[in-house]
Amino acid sequence: MDATVRVEPPAAVGPVMARRPRLRRDGIRTFVVTFFAVALLAAFLSPMLRAVTTAVKTPEQITQIGAPLYPADPATFEWQGKDYPIYEVPIDGQTRQLALTRKGRVTSEFVDPANPDAGVITWEGSWRSLPQAWTFAPQWANFGEAWRLLDFPRLLFNTVALAAIGTFGTVLSCTLVAYGFARFRFPGRTFLFTLLIATIFLPAAVTLIPTYTIFLKLGWVGTWLPLLVPAFLANAYDVFLLRQYLMTIPRDLDEAAAIDGAGPLRTLWSVIIPQAWPGLAAVSIFTFVYSWNDFFAPLIYLSTKPELQPLSVGLARFNGVHYRDPALIQAGTLMTLIIPVLLFIVFQRFFTRGIVITGVEK
Amino acid sequence: MRTRGRFFTVLIALALLATACGTQTSPSGSVPSTGASGPVSGGQVEIRWYCCLGGGDAPEQVEVENKVAADFNASHPNIKLTFEAVPYDGARDALATQIASGNPPDIVGPLGIGGANAFPNQWLDLGPLIQKNNYDLSQFPENTVQIYQLAGEGQVGIPFAIYPSALFYKKSHFEEAGLNEPPHKYGEPYVWPDGREAEWNYDTAREVAMKLTVDKNNKDATQDGFDPDKIVQWGFEPQRDDPRQVGAYWGAGRLVGDDGTTAQIPDAWVAAWKWWYDGMWTDHFSMTGPQFESPDLNPSDYPFFSGNVSMSENYLWSTYGVGDAGDDWDLAAVPSYNGQTTAAFNADTFRIMKGSKHPDEAFEVLTYLLGDASQELLTVYGGLPAREANQDAFFETLGDQFPQEVDWQVARDGIQYADNPNFESPMPNYNEALDTLNTFGSKLQSEPNLDVDKEIATLKEQLQSIFDQSS
Amino acid sequence: MWGYLFLSPWIVGFLAFTLIPMLATLGFSFTNINLAQETPLTFVGISNYQRLTTDPQAWSSLAVTFRYAAIALPVGVILPFAVAMLLNSRSLRGSSAFRVLFFLPYVVPFVAGVLIWQGMLNAETGWVNGFLQTIGIENPPNWLNDTGTVYPALVMIGIWGIGAGIIVNLAGLQGIPTELYDAANIDGAGWWSTLRHITLPMVSPVIFYTLILGVVEVLQYFLVPLVLNNGTGDPAGSTLFFNLYLYKQFFTFQNMSYGATLAWLLFVVTLAITLVLFATARRWVYYAGER
Repeated sequence: MDATVRVEPPAAVGPVMARRPRLRRDGIRTFVVTFFAVALLAAFLSPMLRAVTTAVKTPEQITQIGAPLYPADPATFEWQGKDYPIYEVPIDGQTRQLALTRKGRVTSEFVDPANPDAGVITWEGSWRSLPQAWTFAPQWANFGEAWRLLDFPRLLFNTVALAAIGTFGTVLSCTLVAYGFARFRFPGRTFLFTLLIATIFLPAAVTLIPTYTIFLKLGWVGTWLPLLVPAFLANAYDVFLLRQYLMTIPRDLDEAAAIDGAGPLRTLWSVIIPQAWPGLAAVSIFTFVYSWNDFFAPLIYLSTKPELQPLSVGLARFNGVHYRDPALIQAGTLMTLIIPVLLFIVFQRFFTRGIVITGVEK
Repeated sequence: MRTRGRFFTVLIALALLATACGTQTSPSGSVPSTGASGPVSGGQVEIRWYCCLGGGDAPEQVEVENKVAADFNASHPNIKLTFEAVPYDGARDALATQIASGNPPDIVGPLGIGGANAFPNQWLDLGPLIQKNNYDLSQFPENTVQIYQLAGEGQVGIPFAIYPSALFYKKSHFEEAGLNEPPHKYGEPYVWPDGREAEWNYDTAREVAMKLTVDKNNKDATQDGFDPDKIVQWGFEPQRDDPRQVGAYWGAGRLVGDDGTTAQIPDAWVAAWKWWYDGMWTDHFSMTGPQFESPDLNPSDYPFFSGNVSMSENYLWSTYGVGDAGDDWDLAAVPSYNGQTTAAFNADTFRIMKGSKHPDEAFEVLTYLLGDASQELLTVYGGLPAREANQDAFFETLGDQFPQEVDWQVARDGIQYADNPNFESPMPNYNEALDTLNTFGSKLQSEPNLDVDKEIATLKEQLQSIFDQSS
Repeated sequence: MWGYLFLSPWIVGFLAFTLIPMLATLGFSFTNINLAQETPLTFVGISNYQRLTTDPQAWSSLAVTFRYAAIALPVGVILPFAVAMLLNSRSLRGSSAFRVLFFLPYVVPFVAGVLIWQGMLNAETGWVNGFLQTIGIENPPNWLNDTGTVYPALVMIGIWGIGAGIIVNLAGLQGIPTELYDAANIDGAGWWSTLRHITLPMVSPVIFYTLILGVVEVLQYFLVPLVLNNGTGDPAGSTLFFNLYLYKQFFTFQNMSYGATLAWLLFVVTLAITLVLFATARRWVYYAGER
């Protein structure tokens, strides 16, 4: 901490005297804030850890009561053609690692792996209270197994295509509509905006069956169209988000552009969009994740076409079939996270850039 | 104001238009509608086969189902059979949506009795088609044919797969506890280690189950100092998919009287529910709700598969996952109640929807699935053929799958103790009644210190009011 | 004219995929339409609405929804904002890594997430109670099996998806011009005063957005309890949310006409609440670009 203070060049502004204690305070604050964030994050992600450890366990370990939390195999010893688990047995004041060959309520029988020819050792006591010997053994092969069983590459292609096209359509259409609402005055604007907001409140069950009927009449059931076409026709959530965002952008720049003779489209492209990156990035990532995980719509519209289905439906089928193997389910789940998370890492740069644009340029 | 007025006129017009669309595609089935299925080309008729309202969605099953459809198409140029596999979790909603939108599939299956009851009045009476095609029903045991004869709805199904019940048990658990195994022959007594013989009924089963229930200190549920919070092995698991099944292993019955409108709770079911309730909360031999829901104690929804349960009543279909429990399980007789033995019974088949536009072609497909393709499908579904002639071969296949020499005769013997009337018999407002029943069942599993008699009385009242709503 | 042009994609979509289906459903609510249709389809006037007035389950499930909302809504608005503040803090090292990690659970497919949490919150073997026992709490709650703790448990599950809320708030926070803070700094404003007079007013549109969406989401809440306990409403009916009851009428009981009636009630209730919120918005939501 002291080193930081010394290395820091003398401040150009402000009295030097005030600088030293403040820096130290900043250092402590950084530590406290970061520590707090780490603790919060640890609690927040602990279920994830549970999923990860489950994903690399054997089915045997998952069903064994009292097994360790980390992925492990019970240590075993082969005796007379069968594997027996090894326990730590206290005998004559010392603890010995012995293989349990016959379980009993009052007495149990063990064999010493170091000296199997000595024969069976009968031990009086409850074998269930003995600690069992385990060896750390993560089953990375579960991921390969899930990849193969899920037919991952095909599902991945469908999902990426659906999510990418859908996101493009949504961002395009919602930006246009939000811009219309945020920057233009026209008769019925308030009414239309209220109507738009109102559609958010419409429970999905209300429109499902008539909507399905409409798509059926159009002959779109069994294609991607019911999933993609609505994306190009904007949706209330994202229009609302973007409109809220655009409203926070001061009008001075638009007006300057208008005075320079820029039309509405030009203004949108060269003035609004550069300032709206954080909002656009947020909408993109939400839409992408939403369509990545959307389950019911692809299920009902693509039920006849497994070759067109995305990961969400594939994963649901996989869960239904392999529910006896929680490790495979968690492995499959974790694999579906990779691409959205990578995309998020790329997109989050725009949030940071948002600071620069809206903060410094003015 | 004026513009708004005009706007609303437009709204009303649109509403009428939309409602008109709704009526045209009404799900009654009697109104012809222009669904997706229909003539394809060159006089070929498309028949849609919808799956999976209960089984049939595993990859190896889908593979066989697709192959069956392809084989059918190769030999039947007049029909184009398409197979649709919707994963179980969404299958019910997706089918409801298709029916409501006027786009019902032609054939649905494999489908249990309960699964079919969830869509009441949607299944075609096959009687006329059976007569027209001279289809021989006498190849099946009569009681399996009767399951599909419903008053007012006709013969809605033809037997395909049947699932008798047995008591699955872990031999090693009995050995560890120093107990004899339960009897394999119906009517034989249970023999205690001291040679004492007891009738193999639920009183005896309770005692045995408590001896097999062990905490982590190796104390069993009959001993002082037993810690019910640290149980590592449970003695008994009923078929708890719904409370009716728990009851059906005690005695046959149904929740609606012969008049079809009066709610009733069979006495045997009352006894079963109380026995099971005590088994969870005071005798501790059966998992409580929180234990059952724990993914660590019960990862697969069937506690017996975890290997930590000693005895479990279930259907023969458990063979799909019972291998997870180890290789030391066997089958024994289901315990009796009041001197009577009942082994709950289940059956799967394919059905034709009333809304099918091509019932004749659908029947042609149906007889193919139940005939030429049946061996192939039954093997991959793990279903015992309803056709008695094919049953030996089926048990041989199971014998190859489980080399530890399971006593399959127990399962065969179970057929004659099938519950009649079946626990899944129709009732008015079926889905609502079942929902209430399941709420009752989960209350038993999650709340200790209930007055079970009072809860049952409430259940009966609730069922009655649901039945009354239907008329 | 430009305004209508920019709005046109939404207007087309609204007419085709919202208005017509919506009105069709309104039509359903005046008929006796259901899946089995054992009696002929007829116009039944307002009898579905009459049934609604005497249906105790409809009203008790609406009460369930409101009770849950009373806990879930404040958490759902405040927590993402607070975490976004934390992530936006200059005192935080490695903030971009934190951002990614806080966002991570939002991506977990819904059903898989519920399964993971079911394991976490299990009274017997869950990690939450394991942790509580480690720090000395002997009788930790039964969480999902106890009417007293089931809402906090559901809120906990819900918190896992706040990644989206954090981002929206973060975008809002980062949109605040830095000179405002510099000015406040020169004026000697403290942390609290800066939060109250600069940060909160400047992000109020975003908070308003999360509030509105929170209301909508909480009133339509039902998927988690549906997956958790098959829609039985356990424990003791405390998770029979209004939308769950609606869903059951629609799909499980296949009673389309009454389901449509319930849906319209939900629609009207949500609309009423949000209209009230919009009316109050003028007092506390600040728009820099508003004229």
